[in-house]
Amino acid sequence: MTPGAMPRFLLRRAGTALLVMLGTTFVTFLLARVVPANPAVSYLGPKARPDEIARIEAQLGLDQPLPYQYGRYLWDLLRGDWGTSIGTKLPVTDEMFGRLPATLELLLIAMLLACLIGVALGVVAAARQNRFLDHLIRLLAIGGVSVPAFWLGLLLQVFVFGGLGLFELTGRLDPDLEFTDPLREITGFHLVDALLTGHLTALSDAAAHLVLPALTLAAYPIGVIARMTRASMLEILAADHIRAARAYGLRERIVHWRIALRGALPPTTTVAGLTLAYSLTGTFFVEVVFNWPGLGLFASTALLNMDYPVIMGITLFGAAGYVLVNLIVDLVQARLDPRVRLS
Amino acid sequence: MSRPPGMTGVVEAAAPTRARQVVAALTRDRLGLLGLVLIALLVLTALFGPWLAPFPEQGAGLADVARHDLPPGGAHWLGTDPLGRDVLSRIILGARPALVVPILVVALAVLIGVPLGLAAGYRGGRFDEIVMRIADMFLAFPPLLLAMVIVALLGPSLLHAALALAVSWWPWYARLVRGLTAALRDRPFVEGARALGLRPFTVLSRHVLPNAAPPVIVQASVDIGTVILAVGSLAFLGLGPQPPTPDWGLMVAEGRTYVMTEWWLSAFPGLAIFLAVLGFNLLGDALRDVLDPRSVTR
Repeated sequence: MTPGAMPRFLLRRAGTALLVMLGTTFVTFLLARVVPANPAVSYLGPKARPDEIARIEAQLGLDQPLPYQYGRYLWDLLRGDWGTSIGTKLPVTDEMFGRLPATLELLLIAMLLACLIGVALGVVAAARQNRFLDHLIRLLAIGGVSVPAFWLGLLLQVFVFGGLGLFELTGRLDPDLEFTDPLREITGFHLVDALLTGHLTALSDAAAHLVLPALTLAAYPIGVIARMTRASMLEILAADHIRAARAYGLRERIVHWRIALRGALPPTTTVAGLTLAYSLTGTFFVEVVFNWPGLGLFASTALLNMDYPVIMGITLFGAAGYVLVNLIVDLVQARLDPRVRLS
Repeated sequence: MSRPPGMTGVVEAAAPTRARQVVAALTRDRLGLLGLVLIALLVLTALFGPWLAPFPEQGAGLADVARHDLPPGGAHWLGTDPLGRDVLSRIILGARPALVVPILVVALAVLIGVPLGLAAGYRGGRFDEIVMRIADMFLAFPPLLLAMVIVALLGPSLLHAALALAVSWWPWYARLVRGLTAALRDRPFVEGARALGLRPFTVLSRHVLPNAAPPVIVQASVDIGTVILAVGSLAFLGLGPQPPTPDWGLMVAEGRTYVMTEWWLSAFPGLAIFLAVLGFNLLGDALRDVLDPRSVTR
């Protein structure tokens, strides 16, 4: 890699990502201002009074030409004015940032589980290529990408919680805890906050609440990661340095888990990143099923109640997260794999 | 061959060989075969549902309160719901929309995306730039999110869910076909056709499209499964068909209230979605192994 190639590549990718983000604001603008018959009413809800409609029309500049309105819309977004929720009467940005840690905690734990389980399954499948275990893992992997998250979540609730009495059913923490021994919020990540404040009861309680929703959300990435790991392991196991390692008499376990896996990790990392972005939407369904107080639950309620400012805010926020994760994946991939051309 | 040169499409990699490869691979691959069986079951149920359902009127929505909340067994193999409707009948009657709607969604996405991709890849330049940047804008949203928002704006219904999904799905086809077309554009047989003075439409439809079709067909067949899942997901959130429609996703949502005691209300309709999606994914996986052994995900 020539010196300076990486920063230039980084800049260009970041520039493209910014342009795409600008594009998404254009789409949300069209959805927010141009598609509805009366944008002011959609912003205020059906029970709006005429004076409120007049006020919001002036505030949104609805009597102005569309290019001007788009400029205003962008400016408001940049200033952090994303509107006020019809449902809760609070600023959309406050609502979103307040709920972000819950969603991120769920998403990250799910991805951690998915990487561990997915990579392990992929390595085992490659080691047993075309044998029973390989076929079983392949079926499991395709099952993971086929299963509706909302259904898997319900099944886990019925059979693991209801049947076996394991883990917790809904929510993030036992509601009683708030009265007996509340957890002090520092980061909003319950696991981290419990560790920081040394609140062990809350730590185990938060973990027990996380297991079922995280497993549900992990099903899809497990499938994708297992398949990718298997494919790249097979490719690498055919390479010369593996034959050399075997010729040295290294045990198969070492060859697979230490040597081959190291080469198989870059493509797996990329795929893991891409499924992380994909799982952003998965949180909607998992949060609804497990009553998880995050962005997804908030968004799906807003979608059904036509809470317009929230819908637009979450859409834009989701797109930003998606673009950002994809950008990071690209950069990490360029870093890990020198064969990726920096052009 | 009596037709003048340049009037027949040149399909490279001899299609019959490939078709035979596909059939051979599918019969060898047991999981691919399982996928075919699942899809066949779905198609048969969709075709003959009204005759197969043990309680067709109840399945369509007629209540029979005397027999409410029965667990699976007896005359009601999969139990009944709080209105006494037979769960099995409702699942069977839900098969037709569950299969037909995703097929229409994918068809519409193909109809929008493929011509745009062909034109963009063939013409290049400004037009290509504009079409692909618009496609990028659509692809910048997390999957399903745009569709959810569009349905919410239009008002929840099966038609709106289908339209919203097609609108958010076409860019995938535009991007795929654009890449294939751009690669084919400078191949000798396409250049030859152009040199003969054929109109771009003829070049594209006779010479480029037949060669770009196989990957599109594979993608479309896999996408039917993905769209079944997407429609079910929208319906589960309430952004699809409304009660008393016998719809799988809606049934899972309706059963949720009682799920801890009457698990069969949600478990079986969800199983139907799962098996349908699994069928298409198993088939697509087997097809992909034949046609492109290296690609794992889209």
